[in-house]
Amino acid sequence: MHEVVLEVDNLTKTFRIHRERANSLKQRIAAKGRNRFDEFIALEDVTFNVHEGEVFGVIGHNGSGKSTLLKCMAGILQPNQGSVHVHRRMSALLELGAGFHPELSGRENVFLNAAILGMNRRDIANKFDEIVEFSGLERFIDQPVKTYSSGMYVRLAFSVAINVDPRLLIIDEVLAVGDVTFQKRCLEKFVEFRNDGRTIVLVTHDLASVRNMCDRAIWLKQGHVSGEGDPKTLVEAYTDSMLGSTPHDETGSTRRGSGELIVNGVEIFVGTDPNPVTRFQTGDTVRFRLSYETLKAVPRPIFSLIIDALGGSTVTAPCSRDVGLVPDTVEGEGWIDIVMPDISLLPGAYDVHTAVHDFNRQHEYDYFHVATRFDVTTGKPYESAGVVTMRPEWQFSYDA
Amino acid sequence: MALRSALAHRNLLYLLSLKELRTRYKKSLLGWGWSLLNPLTQMLIFSIIFLYVFRQEPPTGDPSGMKNFPLFFLCGLLPFNFFSISVGVSMGNVQGGSGLIKKVQFPHEHLVFSVVVAQFVTMLIEFSVLTVALLIGGNMVLPWLPVLLLILATWAVFVTGVALALSAANVFFHDVNYLWGILSQLLFYATPIIYDANNPNLPRLLRIISAHGPTGSFVTAVRNVMYDLRMPSARDLAILVVYAGASFSIGNFIFSHLSPRFAEEM
Repeated sequence: MHEVVLEVDNLTKTFRIHRERANSLKQRIAAKGRNRFDEFIALEDVTFNVHEGEVFGVIGHNGSGKSTLLKCMAGILQPNQGSVHVHRRMSALLELGAGFHPELSGRENVFLNAAILGMNRRDIANKFDEIVEFSGLERFIDQPVKTYSSGMYVRLAFSVAINVDPRLLIIDEVLAVGDVTFQKRCLEKFVEFRNDGRTIVLVTHDLASVRNMCDRAIWLKQGHVSGEGDPKTLVEAYTDSMLGSTPHDETGSTRRGSGELIVNGVEIFVGTDPNPVTRFQTGDTVRFRLSYETLKAVPRPIFSLIIDALGGSTVTAPCSRDVGLVPDTVEGEGWIDIVMPDISLLPGAYDVHTAVHDFNRQHEYDYFHVATRFDVTTGKPYESAGVVTMRPEWQFSYDA
Repeated sequence: MALRSALAHRNLLYLLSLKELRTRYKKSLLGWGWSLLNPLTQMLIFSIIFLYVFRQEPPTGDPSGMKNFPLFFLCGLLPFNFFSISVGVSMGNVQGGSGLIKKVQFPHEHLVFSVVVAQFVTMLIEFSVLTVALLIGGNMVLPWLPVLLLILATWAVFVTGVALALSAANVFFHDVNYLWGILSQLLFYATPIIYDANNPNLPRLLRIISAHGPTGSFVTAVRNVMYDLRMPSARDLAILVVYAGASFSIGNFIFSHLSPRFAEEM
């Protein structure tokens, strides 16, 4: 086991929620003797260690205490109980460009910002060219930053922060800065960091980056550590709890939504054959039948059928609202047919999901994940790779 | 603790002070001229009132023999303005630094130090203009400048203490800011700026405050050196050091106890 670089021990942080904020002496004196605030427990008894070279994720809902934890780790907030020990040079990226002064030039701000982040003069001077080069703002570095676009501003700030050369980097949702090229460079920088054996703590909503980048993670729930360990398992548990979904059967089907209107199942028919199938060919005319039932009258529901390729990417997702098919109300049982003539799917396995929303898509009545599965076998046309065919027409020409 | 932090982060202090100086007069035509115009206007107003409305004799410098109210006035006004402006701007700077305080861990006291340093530089520029004026007026002040610098440096320590205490308190009660506006006006008249501390016509209480209070002691010491061309007594100088030490220790104590709670309070 590698050395511990960040220790969080029984960390508890409470805030006072003032019922009437006393910001003047008069108010404070007038309120004296009466406790005009409530205690709000943002973090309670949070304990975890981060080891050298780890990429450590912290996930949680809004209001779960992530930001408070981050600020305690960064030394901005003082814990009420417990302690945070940082054993390496740390840099916390909470907000990029905090402390930039709009009237000063990019150059002056780089020096000032780096000093605020704790660099000394010689280090900044040595790193200056690297910082500017990384930001890609060589041409604008002597302009006041108030003339920068927000993207340029963030790029410069990020370049400073990343070049402070920390052994422990704490990041808050700042991965998505700048344009695609710059994002790619940031990602490369993180990978470089990680390969150098540096430690990264990532506090984020972005579950994909936790799953892909982190070695270990914790899940914060209402100020407590709700789980710790393998990011993949944790992200799954987190997603499940967030969607409130329950397993349907062993095929991996799940269902969520409020349930006033649910899709019972999806049947697939080919041509005029009255028997449902789970297998057809490219080029067949295929009919998807969604059977639904309601608990009560549901006004203006919209239905969607989602077809995913095996990798999880959605191939097509027709929605009844897109074609203007919106009944005033739906009550009782019924079915909807969606016919796809001369289907363009290429051979492979596909998942079918269904979704029912209200007209504004604000409310989800039902989401049936993996309502059914089907296979496509070789038909016409045929292509050896890809998911769909565009029915290409080929022409060759030769130099005679 | 604050001193050690100031040394450890001297680069930050240098850059923050530079920022204060650079941004103060950006986008203004007169630029630094403004910093001179303000005391000059005050000088003009008080000179007219003093010499033409109340028809007073200007105090005589001893042993210099100088008899010039505008110069007498400026010798007191410049150090006082440094005090009152530094404290006021410090409070604003700490409050205005909330974006930084809430997002980055850094020594908060530098928000105050940098203001004092920047104002100190401004004051030195003002004093160099005053020096020229005094030379033209016949006071050979040049040999006294090292003593002046020492007194002003001690004065800056005193000012820093007050600025630390009030800026920290202002985070919790914004009244402090307004209170300072009134208090500094009162102090202006309780400090021997438009009058001499030894003026026998002063009421007893005002005489004690203006002669022995911290602002009065410092202003009088500066005036001794620049207007009278006389070394302040060792006892007077010792008092200045005591005032500066006390102010700084108390201010530093208050600030370092309150500053960990800034991020929460802002």
